[in-house]
Amino acid sequence: MRPLPAGWAKALRLALLFGALLGLYALAVARHEERAQIREQAVVLTPSCADKLDRYGLAAGPDYVSTYMLARGWHPDPRRGYSEQDVRAIQRGCNIIDDLQGQLATDPGRERWNSTRFVRGTHTSCDHCHQGIGDKQTAAGVPQTGSLSLGASWVMADMYDQFTGILLPFELRQMQCYINSSNGYKPNVADDLIRDVTAYSRFLAAALDLRFGNRYAEQGIDEVTASSTLKRGDDYVRGAALFKEKCARCHGPQGLGTVVEGKVVYPALAGPNSFNHQSRNNFSFVSTILPGFICRNMPLGEEGTLSNQDCRDIGFYVSNLPRPAGDKEGPLAALWNQLMMRVMPPMIHAVETWRHADTSGESGA
Amino acid sequence: MDRAPDAALAKVRERRRAARRARLVVVLRGTLGAAAVIGFAVWAHLGSGQPVFSPHGKPEAGWEAFHAAYDVDTFGRDGYFVRAIQSGYNLIHHTYRYAWRFTRKGALDRPNACIDCHSETDLAYAFASGDRYDAALGRRISFEEHVMRCYATHLDGFVPTIYDPAVRDIRIFARMVAHHLQLGEGAREAPQ
Repeated sequence: MRPLPAGWAKALRLALLFGALLGLYALAVARHEERAQIREQAVVLTPSCADKLDRYGLAAGPDYVSTYMLARGWHPDPRRGYSEQDVRAIQRGCNIIDDLQGQLATDPGRERWNSTRFVRGTHTSCDHCHQGIGDKQTAAGVPQTGSLSLGASWVMADMYDQFTGILLPFELRQMQCYINSSNGYKPNVADDLIRDVTAYSRFLAAALDLRFGNRYAEQGIDEVTASSTLKRGDDYVRGAALFKEKCARCHGPQGLGTVVEGKVVYPALAGPNSFNHQSRNNFSFVSTILPGFICRNMPLGEEGTLSNQDCRDIGFYVSNLPRPAGDKEGPLAALWNQLMMRVMPPMIHAVETWRHADTSGESGA
Repeated sequence: MDRAPDAALAKVRERRRAARRARLVVVLRGTLGAAAVIGFAVWAHLGSGQPVFSPHGKPEAGWEAFHAAYDVDTFGRDGYFVRAIQSGYNLIHHTYRYAWRFTRKGALDRPNACIDCHSETDLAYAFASGDRYDAALGRRISFEEHVMRCYATHLDGFVPTIYDPAVRDIRIFARMVAHHLQLGEGAREAPQ
């Protein structure tokens, strides 16, 4: 075969380069178009979202009046209404909070903006921490104290955050959730995934008639500090016993969660699918938040039955189970934690099985 | 016979003197360098009066009155937030000076500041109704994006990033005014 003349080879290389760039451009345009189509298509709501948004009277129109407030006997001034596009953004935001991994969606990639790109595990969903789709209420229909309400969080956004040392906007706080609580990666601030959740949170603030800059009881967690206990110290062994008794039936003996037919029924508290070391849920990072969450929300159906000391002990134990390293811990810590997450569960399982067999043998004898 | 040891001793003494001088030069140079850095830092923070060197915003005309009228200290309860509000105040009232990187307008141009078109209250209401669909642009627009567009169009300048204090502090300022007026999400201005 005759070699190509020198000029031709150069032209071919240039053509290949331009072709590749053109291909990338065409791909970007196609993705952009796809996103624009998704924004226009009707949203299939999860059952919980359908119920909540219906109760709050979300509909397109020139004015918005909260049916929730009307039902409670208040008559707030009509607010600026929502367009069809705004309504769809709010609906998508609600779906994302309720079902981040798209387990209830027929086409998870399109319906949840490919949210799994930003999450490493397969368990986490916003609703695990922000219960009641970010708006947990008591049986009387009142927002519950310390329930991580997204609406209350929105009206208090932009404040100084002691953990990051900056004035933390709502969007950046969401990014932190993806990085740490979901042990993943941060979406861009202008990503639809972030913007739709902001739209939903703003709608909650409108529906509940929350005012900018006011502190509401449902914002954040009602933290359980050491000073709210008898100050005996946080007890790992007692925490392990309590975990076995109160938590293991749902979250599994090692906190690895429960998955039935590919659907997460109870999320992992340890292992690769759980929050990481830099999450505020991690007791060793912030010692008051996880106990507060446990006391307020756990065990399911028996909320409020645990004492402050119980919650701190369980939180201490849970945070010592193997979990992914935080984003600021460096590669060696990450490697060590990966090793622990792989080695510890089968080892503990083997020891537990052996001990169980041993105990059965003794009692049999 | 005695001359040789004397000469050797003199050489040793000379070497020691030279070493002492060299050491002194090194120490002096280091001390002078450190003193220059410390002197600059002290001058920058305490004596220069340049806003760029100070974490505290420059109190512009009208700030004290605004500060008192809007109870700025009672909101946020921390220095960071109040400083951001002051920065927002300066940006809104003197945009051409505090956001000079993002506008071509000068002191003699009109409009050359946000306040020439929008009152503080307007900004608060715009913030309360942010993140809505804009029919003219055919998409949902956030408050920050409106601010960015203002820099590029009405202020004949350039688009800051969404993280820039020139955008962030205006949002925080608008949030503070919205709090002062006790606005809720989507609040509408009463007809005049």
